[in-house]
Amino acid sequence: MGAEQMNVIDLRSDTITHPTEAMRKAMSEAEVGDDVYGEDPSINLLEQRASEILGKEAGLLTASGTMSNLVAALTYCHRGDEIIMGDQAHMFWNESAGVSALAGAQVRLVPNDDQGKIDPADLSAAIRPRGNVHMPPTTLVCLENTHNRCSGAALTPQDTKAVADVAHEAGASVHMDGARIFNAAVALEVPPAELVKDVDDVSFCLSKALSCPVGSVLVGSEEFIGEARRWRKMIGGGMRQAGVLAAAGLVALETMIERLADDHANARRLAQGLADIEGLKVDPESIQTNIVIFEIEPSVGTAPEVLQALADAGVKVTPSRTQTLRMVTHRQVDSADVEEALSRVAGVVGKLREQNKA
Amino acid sequence: MEVSNGEEGMSMVVMGRYGVLYTKPRPKSAETSPRVIDMRSDTVTRPTEEMRVAMFEAEVGDDVFGEDPTVAELEKKAAELLGKEAGLFVASGTMGNLAAMMSHCWSRGEEVLAGDQSHVVLFEQGGAAQIGNFFLRTVRNLPDGTLDLEELRSKLQPEGKVAGDPHKTMTRLIVVENTHNMMGGRVIRPEYMDRLAELIRGLGIRIHVDGARLFNAATALGLPPAELVKHADSVTICLSKGLSAPAGSVLVGTAHFISRARRVRKSLGGGMRQVGVLAAPGIIALEKMSQRLEIDHNMAKFLGRGLVSMSDLGVDLDLEAVETNIVFFGLQRSDMTAEDFVARLEKEGVANGDRVIVKMLPARVASGEVKVRAVLNHHVTHQGVECALIRIREILANRGGRKRKQET
Repeated sequence: MGAEQMNVIDLRSDTITHPTEAMRKAMSEAEVGDDVYGEDPSINLLEQRASEILGKEAGLLTASGTMSNLVAALTYCHRGDEIIMGDQAHMFWNESAGVSALAGAQVRLVPNDDQGKIDPADLSAAIRPRGNVHMPPTTLVCLENTHNRCSGAALTPQDTKAVADVAHEAGASVHMDGARIFNAAVALEVPPAELVKDVDDVSFCLSKALSCPVGSVLVGSEEFIGEARRWRKMIGGGMRQAGVLAAAGLVALETMIERLADDHANARRLAQGLADIEGLKVDPESIQTNIVIFEIEPSVGTAPEVLQALADAGVKVTPSRTQTLRMVTHRQVDSADVEEALSRVAGVVGKLREQNKA
Repeated sequence: MEVSNGEEGMSMVVMGRYGVLYTKPRPKSAETSPRVIDMRSDTVTRPTEEMRVAMFEAEVGDDVFGEDPTVAELEKKAAELLGKEAGLFVASGTMGNLAAMMSHCWSRGEEVLAGDQSHVVLFEQGGAAQIGNFFLRTVRNLPDGTLDLEELRSKLQPEGKVAGDPHKTMTRLIVVENTHNMMGGRVIRPEYMDRLAELIRGLGIRIHVDGARLFNAATALGLPPAELVKHADSVTICLSKGLSAPAGSVLVGTAHFISRARRVRKSLGGGMRQVGVLAAPGIIALEKMSQRLEIDHNMAKFLGRGLVSMSDLGVDLDLEAVETNIVFFGLQRSDMTAEDFVARLEKEGVANGDRVIVKMLPARVASGEVKVRAVLNHHVTHQGVECALIRIREILANRGGRKRKQET
């Protein structure tokens, strides 16, 4: 197949999604005002709607999930506090160490299992007591749902409560990095508010599979959000007529959540197909949402080699852990694309194995 | 893009690439609600119709992967306009300044010199220290908005001189604000920048221009913006102020500096995705709205002249100091503070037969006096200023008691 005829199947991330027509229309017609003065009606409505859906008191629009997570750390933590999170957490791996470099907190890791869960006993053992001058006090515990590096696994309300109870017992707050919380809600068939009832605050992304162009929303108590607003301004997140972004968010909350089930079905099909390819390893039963992380056997090559070979064949993926690659499904990949992608992957992997035998 | 007659009830129908877009009908309630003449800031500016259409049609991609063509175009245009190598779109001027300062002060122990009345010192929540972890030392701002060069000279601690002295921070950066907000929207002239550059030549010290309102300065001087910042290593310009884009600023500098700033921006949470939706109106702001600022300056002078005619009512204003779109005036009244005045002004009144609400802000200036600040912007027309002056006079003339502070 010539390069001109080949369409690229982009499975790098759900962040690549473009806004829908309905979003574009809403954005261009949005009623706006100066949000630094609290006068943008579209933002105010989005923040209210988001907090309602998640069962919290108030909300705050931010530029990105990273910003929401950083603002949460700035709000809960003093310099020299300790934050506990899972060893596969996005906040640890992919946020430029902002909570340490900028918010002055030390990060302590506890194991995430394959399903993204944290063992309450591990958390209990890691929590630092207050009042000991040698030790940074644990003021914050961070959970992630769905879990990116754990193949999009969803935490149940029970999983969350078990960990949150330990944290609260010790006087620490619980922040949930819910970048893909709606994927979890759809996969588990549980209302989003149910998933986050035991955490103090949660952030979710508008710009991922919900397909908005930009943004994230942080929701929590009135008091928490009031303070969070202040730190958001300090790091430069105080935007003006950002109701243009909020308008897309309102469309997303009404129309883009249910369809996530399609992305999950596509991801499950991808996993099944990949499992059938000699040289690749993945357990399709473990795929709950829209992320598929699969292992590359050494007979095929290194993960970077395979990533490049796939890119050359018009299938874009991203690196993940050592000897693994990650695919993420979203509205711009349909079931026909999934079959095509599998066919190309099979071709690439087969060819690489042949070359290595020789 | 076609424009055709609207369906009944709508003002315009536009057929664009993504489908039909109906612009908003003029609200019928306009006659029954008071007109708001909002001079609190130029940040209150709403995007124009053209900007809204641009947002609708913007080509987008994931900018964290470097694939949004519209923001790439904006960054390139901004850099070119300012005579720099590269640009970076940021969520706000605060983020632009913070990312710039953090990118310049990359090593521990460095310091920044900035004016004592500058935005980075007064209105950015001390982010320099809180987030950036470097020292911000102030130098007096003179009434014309410049930094006192003699004082600055005496405070310089170049690395070459103090590296061996563990008591001292090393001066890495000087921040100049143009136009200068708190000194009255004052214009910093190229001649001053020449002298500043000469002063720090060879000392390993850089210049960042907080050019939130740089285009106002360029307009006032009748010079290309690049001329005003030719000695600057980096510049932040705001798209969301007088240029009226919905959100955002652009930071420009060398390619190396910008790649570092991009990393800093990501850590602050400023890595946005299909941000072309904001960049598209930003391009219009940069290319078109930068050309109309003289209107705002003329409106500011018009307001100023009207205020000066009320000096017998306690208004204190030096008209010469009104160079751009900002007007600061004092109120020499024993019966009314600036805060009282602003509160009274914000109540609904009548001017020229129309119901109006006029908004300004009180602001504490360097001397400690609280003055009133008005910022002209594209929503405030000649008629708007007229109405504002009528309301101001009404408030100042009708208040009983002594009109001027008693002199002993």
